[in-house]
Amino acid sequence: MALSLSQSLIRASLPISQGAEAKVYKAQLSETSLPILLKYRFQKHYRHPSLDNNLTRTRIAGEARALLKCLRSGVNVPGIRMVDAAEGVLGIEWIEGQSLRKLLGGTEEEGDDLDVEATDTELENPLKDYGVSVEELMKLVGIEIAKMHKIDVIHGDLTTSNMMLRRPKSVESTLAAELVLIDFGLSYQSTLTEDKAVDLYVLERAFSSTHPDSEPMFATVLVAYANVMDKDWPAIRNRLEDG
Amino acid sequence: MESFRFSHTNNVAFALLFYPVNNPGKIKQRIIDAAKVEGTEGDHERDTVNFSFIEASLITSRLHLETAINQAIIADSQGSLRTKTAHSEILFALNPTNNITEAIRRYGVSDKSESLLVVQITDSSASVSDVEIKMKEVVDGTVVPFGELATITEWDRVKKYHKLDKEVRGKGEETRSFIDNIVISSVAMKSVIQ
Repeated sequence: MALSLSQSLIRASLPISQGAEAKVYKAQLSETSLPILLKYRFQKHYRHPSLDNNLTRTRIAGEARALLKCLRSGVNVPGIRMVDAAEGVLGIEWIEGQSLRKLLGGTEEEGDDLDVEATDTELENPLKDYGVSVEELMKLVGIEIAKMHKIDVIHGDLTTSNMMLRRPKSVESTLAAELVLIDFGLSYQSTLTEDKAVDLYVLERAFSSTHPDSEPMFATVLVAYANVMDKDWPAIRNRLEDG
Repeated sequence: MESFRFSHTNNVAFALLFYPVNNPGKIKQRIIDAAKVEGTEGDHERDTVNFSFIEASLITSRLHLETAINQAIIADSQGSLRTKTAHSEILFALNPTNNITEAIRRYGVSDKSESLLVVQITDSSASVSDVEIKMKEVVDGTVVPFGELATITEWDRVKKYHKLDKEVRGKGEETRSFIDNIVISSVAMKSVIQ
């Protein structure tokens, strides 16, 4: 049987990493276009095929909708470049840059990174490349999460691996470094204070488990977050403090 | 001639940008009539207008068009076209709603079209010059380089159709690339909008 278009595309792409739910590739749609990132939700043979198709389709649709909602409101997320829900493929803009986890020298993720670009992480202070200090970076994190919560999108898996710093286009670039939120695979919509507080709590746990002495960093995140959330902040703070 | 070659399919798309166009009403009438003629004469007439005629002023970038073409090719390959042909599917993909009539009215050729992007999806064996001759037979207008699209895009109408009037103010380069990214993303995820 001939391969489907999406399968041929995957065949011609570069594997980046693999998780339990999906494989990630770097691909190019056409001769002239910029690279994209393909997230392929492969078939789960432990599920009934029709249930599997349904779940995959729903999740891709959910992820794409969350991304579009964020894009429309100016939250920094990757643009969508292709969707093939039948085959489980979501193609998004390739972000040239580095995950926060790596930038902050976080402990390595277990094993599943296929590490194609491992070499440039060896730098003494990788942040220097991007022209931001740790403190500024934390502010950007707080602002971006707040922008997302303002439009009632809950990320569902906020970790430093799911945030990227976009590499400035040139060294002399006067443009501010851009923090991009990625992987909306577990995202959902909610207006509840509780859900927003949980989103922050998950990030706090992620910080403390991957980055030593992270308390002051996370405190800076919250200050910037509070600033943007304004009158919505006290209620969220109360939920967060209740633990 | 602008060509779109994809890494995952033998389909190739060719596009010509016409500006100005002198016979938009006639082209539209011809497409409508071609659908009604029967027999070999009908087949011939349908072949003559077997293109996607796109209102160029609503296209924000090359990638915008490429994304619509790619999604139409994918839908066609899976037998999941929402319209009759891959060419009409491009128009459908471009419009943010699921209303086919509206998609054709907005993004297809109309009596008032001043600029047109004429696209043909074909396979890699097709001859570029043949396609070009056929496009020029139907459209009475001036072919301009694809890069001219940047001066043709009507950003206010793009914003209106994508309901971005409130979200986006300003007219600078940065604003345009912001709108372009949203518009491209909407086209890419058209198959899974609510």
